[in-house]
Amino acid sequence: MDPIYLMNNVFIIVCFTLVLLMQGGFILLEAGSTRMKNAGHIAGKTIFTVGVASIVFWAVGYGFIYGEGNAFIGLSDFFFGDFTSEVDGLAGSTDFMFQLAFAAIALTIAFGGFAERAKLTAYVVFAIAFSAIVYPVVAHWIWGDGWLADLGKQDFAGSTVVHLTGAMAALAATIILKPRIGKFNKDGSPNDLAGHNQVYTALGVLVLWVGWFGFNAGSTLGVDGAFFGYVALNTQLAAAAGAIAAMFIVWALSGKADIPTTLNGALAGLVAITASCAFVAPWAAVVIGVIGGLIVYASMKFFEKMQIDDPIFALSVHGIAGIWGTISTGFFATPELAAMNGGEAGLFYGGGLTQLGVQTIGVVSSGLFAFVLSFIILKVMVTIMGGIRVSEEEELIGLDMAEHGSYGYPENMPTEENKAPGA
Amino acid sequence: MRYEDIKELRSDRIKVITEDHILLNEIHDELMQSIVEIAVAEVKSELGSPPSRFAFFLMGSAGRFEQSFWSDQDHGIIYEKSNNENANYFIRLGKEISKGLSICDYDLCDGKVMASNPLWCKSIDEWERQVSGWLTEDSWQSLRNISILFDSRVLVGESDFLRVLKDIIFKRLDKEQNIIFRLLDNVGYVKKGIGFFGQLLPETNSKGKGHIHIKEKILFPYVNSVRLLAFKERIYLPSTLSRFNHLTAFYKDMKEYEETFHRILELRLHFQKRLNEDDNVNLISIEALSSNEKKEIKIMMKNGYKLFQKTKGIIQQRG
Repeated sequence: MDPIYLMNNVFIIVCFTLVLLMQGGFILLEAGSTRMKNAGHIAGKTIFTVGVASIVFWAVGYGFIYGEGNAFIGLSDFFFGDFTSEVDGLAGSTDFMFQLAFAAIALTIAFGGFAERAKLTAYVVFAIAFSAIVYPVVAHWIWGDGWLADLGKQDFAGSTVVHLTGAMAALAATIILKPRIGKFNKDGSPNDLAGHNQVYTALGVLVLWVGWFGFNAGSTLGVDGAFFGYVALNTQLAAAAGAIAAMFIVWALSGKADIPTTLNGALAGLVAITASCAFVAPWAAVVIGVIGGLIVYASMKFFEKMQIDDPIFALSVHGIAGIWGTISTGFFATPELAAMNGGEAGLFYGGGLTQLGVQTIGVVSSGLFAFVLSFIILKVMVTIMGGIRVSEEEELIGLDMAEHGSYGYPENMPTEENKAPGA
Repeated sequence: MRYEDIKELRSDRIKVITEDHILLNEIHDELMQSIVEIAVAEVKSELGSPPSRFAFFLMGSAGRFEQSFWSDQDHGIIYEKSNNENANYFIRLGKEISKGLSICDYDLCDGKVMASNPLWCKSIDEWERQVSGWLTEDSWQSLRNISILFDSRVLVGESDFLRVLKDIIFKRLDKEQNIIFRLLDNVGYVKKGIGFFGQLLPETNSKGKGHIHIKEKILFPYVNSVRLLAFKERIYLPSTLSRFNHLTAFYKDMKEYEETFHRILELRLHFQKRLNEDDNVNLISIEALSSNEKKEIKIMMKNGYKLFQKTKGIIQQRG
């Protein structure tokens, strides 16, 4: 057997595990960014929903993306299980595993908008709907044989497919769920519902950062030509630049070098470079990361001002930075790299507005589709399930106790529950 | 008479009660009235006669006329005129009453819903401001206080004082549709007592292992539903049974739920006879239940959930 073929498969399976391990990053990030009374819930539900996403992706998700179909959706290869097939120079199942891990990441991002107040049953139902329909359709458009792929849209590892799609679902969810109790005062001014553990959040970012090398470098889908090293280089530069830029801007504007903002800067750099890592020069990766770090701060402030509660900053980190990352290739894609990886060169390399236009169409259509469909799904869920938010009392005692019967930090929580009316 | 005499009287009289829920609550009322009288006399000897008219009122299970053999205390005081002297006098009285009740085996309230707490012992003006404030604040705790206050009746003193406060609540409900939705959400956490396979679900905390919390799992869906409908239909009466009685005029199938509720109260007394005084009176051991009792409890729970869902529907549809 061809040694390169074998190497490719080994590499991608390693990358799959790195991307799967990013869920560990999300567990730490989300638990650290939220309050103690929800820590066990937010960690445990991530494991559970990865389970749901995996089964659904195997049953229908993969087929809707990569199956034979039309410009809108794929329609074959359901219940994937052919051990003889070969896709993109990989064993079919290797490719399948890698793609599955991406779908699960998009779902976890979407659940950022659910944090600290959605019913567990809402997680279950939405996990199924999102993994079966929302994500696969966008992924098909861009990575399958969809209409955006035909237009030459550049989204190397998924700034749009994974991050923006997840974030748009999170936006729909957080609008429908409404802000957490105590987030906004009656006059609309925001309160800081601080996460309970910045060390967790920072470790979460580091785990994600490491996992991102599976995400981006792995998206070369092979070792041939060792292009993955270059992708990794750009990834590292953008993350670094994002962290520095975000810390600078929050320090410059507020006088304090806020840690959550800095951490979001690193993530924004990573999200932004995800689409562009294979298309741009290293200096451009730095610029993309810097802009990512700056806009993530502006975006955090913007959503707060709009009274949209974004508990884990999914909208800013994955949404706004995802949009920026996707559009950035329209400016910075070099002719050589575009020739190698698809699409045209960007505006700054004499490519004119063509690629910028394609990127913009891609962002708008995918973002709108993911938002509208998620919104409809969630609205239907509200009607059928009698609401998707827990009662006020459950939210106050925390989802650990209300939904799971035990606290993530039992020693730090009251043993007696709240007094019932006139008990 | 001293508190100790009442304590003795209490244990004598209560032992005799079999499963007559109404008789039991009448006895509780008499006992508590005597305790309040002793407390008033005690404070009188210390600080003189009460400096203004007042009402001592009951809330919680006593307010709803559904105490079991052992209940904790929930009560408050409304006095007529607002001044320092009155405040000091009635807090002293509140403390004395709490002490007396506690000596007579009515446990102190964990949530401090007692006339010894300045929050629940105020002049009528202050009370009016507090109730309006709770409604305006619209937080979980403040609306819970409204629900607690709503299940109330005067045991000793001026009965119309409390009516004034309920009027404030009703006026606000007339003006602001949203409040009733918020009151609904406030008690929306219904603790499931039946599992996926139709089995009874025991408590998960260490004290309740193997037991069902009869109050939370069986009684509360009824109590909360009926309170919500009483808010909606502007019923002043606090007891769940009398609220049921009034509600049958508005909602046809209430009769059926009322019967089940009555049966729950009886059954609770029946189970509590098996308990020692130190046991948690609200926990019943699943193991000790016969299969018929289990079946009956499940039906009671299911009907409670149904009633709560129905109530939710009524409130959400018509506001």
